[in-house]
Amino acid sequence: MLLVRTLIAAAMIALGCIILSQMLRAAPAGGFAILPGVVLGVAMVALGAHRLMLILRVRRMP
Amino acid sequence: MPAQTSGANPELRRTVTPWGSFSWGYSDVGADIFVGLGLVLGAAAGASNVAFLFAGVVYVCIGLAYTELAATYPVAGGGQYFVMRGLGDVFGFLAGWAVLLDFTIDVTLFAWTSVDYTSQLVPALTNSSHPWLHFLVVLGLVLGLCALNVVGVRESTTFNGIVSALDVLSESAILCLGFLFAFHPQLLIHTMQFSWPSPYQLMLGTSLAIISFVGLESISQAAQETQRPASIIPRTSVALILTILIFALAYSNLALGMQPWHPIVNAAGHTMQFWQIFPNNPDNQGKAVALLAEQVPYYGAFAALYVPILGAVLLLISSNSGVFGSSRIAYAMSTSNLLPSIFQRVHAKFRTPMISIVFFSTIAIVELIFAAAPALFPAVAHLYSQFFRGENGLEFLADLYAFGAATSYSFVFLALIGLRLTDPLSPRKFKIPLNFPLQFRGERVEFPVIAVIGFLGIFSILMFTIRTHALGRIFGPSWLVVGFILYLIYRRHRRLPLLGSQPRNWRKAQKEILQRAGELELMDEYVANIKASEARRAGTSP
Repeated sequence: MLLVRTLIAAAMIALGCIILSQMLRAAPAGGFAILPGVVLGVAMVALGAHRLMLILRVRRMP
Repeated sequence: MPAQTSGANPELRRTVTPWGSFSWGYSDVGADIFVGLGLVLGAAAGASNVAFLFAGVVYVCIGLAYTELAATYPVAGGGQYFVMRGLGDVFGFLAGWAVLLDFTIDVTLFAWTSVDYTSQLVPALTNSSHPWLHFLVVLGLVLGLCALNVVGVRESTTFNGIVSALDVLSESAILCLGFLFAFHPQLLIHTMQFSWPSPYQLMLGTSLAIISFVGLESISQAAQETQRPASIIPRTSVALILTILIFALAYSNLALGMQPWHPIVNAAGHTMQFWQIFPNNPDNQGKAVALLAEQVPYYGAFAALYVPILGAVLLLISSNSGVFGSSRIAYAMSTSNLLPSIFQRVHAKFRTPMISIVFFSTIAIVELIFAAAPALFPAVAHLYSQFFRGENGLEFLADLYAFGAATSYSFVFLALIGLRLTDPLSPRKFKIPLNFPLQFRGERVEFPVIAVIGFLGIFSILMFTIRTHALGRIFGPSWLVVGFILYLIYRRHRRLPLLGSQPRNWRKAQKEILQRAGELELMDEYVANIKASEARRAGTSP
């Protein structure tokens, strides 16, 4: 179960990074319009990282 | 909710697990996007994602504030309790009364949209074509939930967990496949540049977007029933806050930048973008997620069958949480002498707060009648169009929901600031980030900058609500004024301070709260903090 959770968290970070890169690539044409997408990407990376940190904490528990 | 009934003071059993705590919040807040998406797309058009972004940032601040307060004071009273403790009885009452408005609206609004989602599969339930049938089914649902709560049947944490898990999976699938097959970033940018709304519409959309983030009271309610809440609540809350934010932003971006699977044409035969089916169409606004899921290539054929059912079930759970939550808040307010003791009365046989449940369900039904009236009676529709910009039923409910949420959240931010200053000795296992230290009344305190930013954000949303919601600006403040008059009459009758607060021993109360929560280490830390503070004040080293 822990492995599945780790994979989901990693996938979330990867997806967040893809969205961020897509949005930043569209920055010259989009300007301000990319902001909600950038926040979406950052939130996904943050959630994935938060989950990973919790999993690491559980792993360290005796 | 299982309750221990032995002894003089029945207490809630602390049996909720971390996933239970998450799913409890999710089934409450997660359902909001099913209601909010269509309303915001209808109002803010090409800036819907910006409206969700603004409301979402404010919501993150609110969520962090609730997390800190619920972990520090794990009691079921929620916002009302925090405000009473931080700002005194009058503000505690006003915050609680605003939350009660939200809970009663919650009952009606979510039962209403539950029927809207069902209408996707059963067209006879569509409000515009069969208003009386729609009204009667919503009324039946509200009465049914009221009866179920009176006899004490409530959906179990396991059921909540299963529905939440299914919904998270379903929404993730819709969004992933939608972004993969139907999303075009250029279309999103084009929509935002060429369909940008007027400032008035953007304010309206932003005030409606906040309803996608209502229900954080569930965090504090879960805190009351979670073992070691100071450790568990921050973990689950942060995940909950980010999940809801991601869904709201993802849906709004996808809706603005998606190429529908099946071309949508208007009456003149012109092809429309997906978001264009929402303005001035309350039927579509009430079932936006189902309509979006249907337009995801390939997966949409399958999603069209189950998303309306899943949405309807999730919304019904949320509606039920309104019936249950209002009686619980009223109970908590009554024990604090903010409401008459009649709201504490428990039915002899069912051991449920029957009077509270029936009272607030009746208010929910009155709100339903106000919301349904324009569709049921042409004369009322004429009245609404003359005086209230022709608001429809869904908008009426959303107006009040936004007003109640913005009001109570504004008070919660002020309470957080107040409690940081007046109660620095309570151990805080979770603190919202960005604090600066200062000395206040001889104690070292940490001033929360995020709370100030959050307050400014939510207060501006409250102003947007008052400015743009024709019905909300009349009925919302009226609800508060009527409540405040009743509060004054009650306090006078009980010979309690009218505008002041009743004397309470918060230190003793805090020790009891931590002890009951099983947070014995935190209780020891609290006692040590008090001793050190007293020694400092006496001029001796601790």
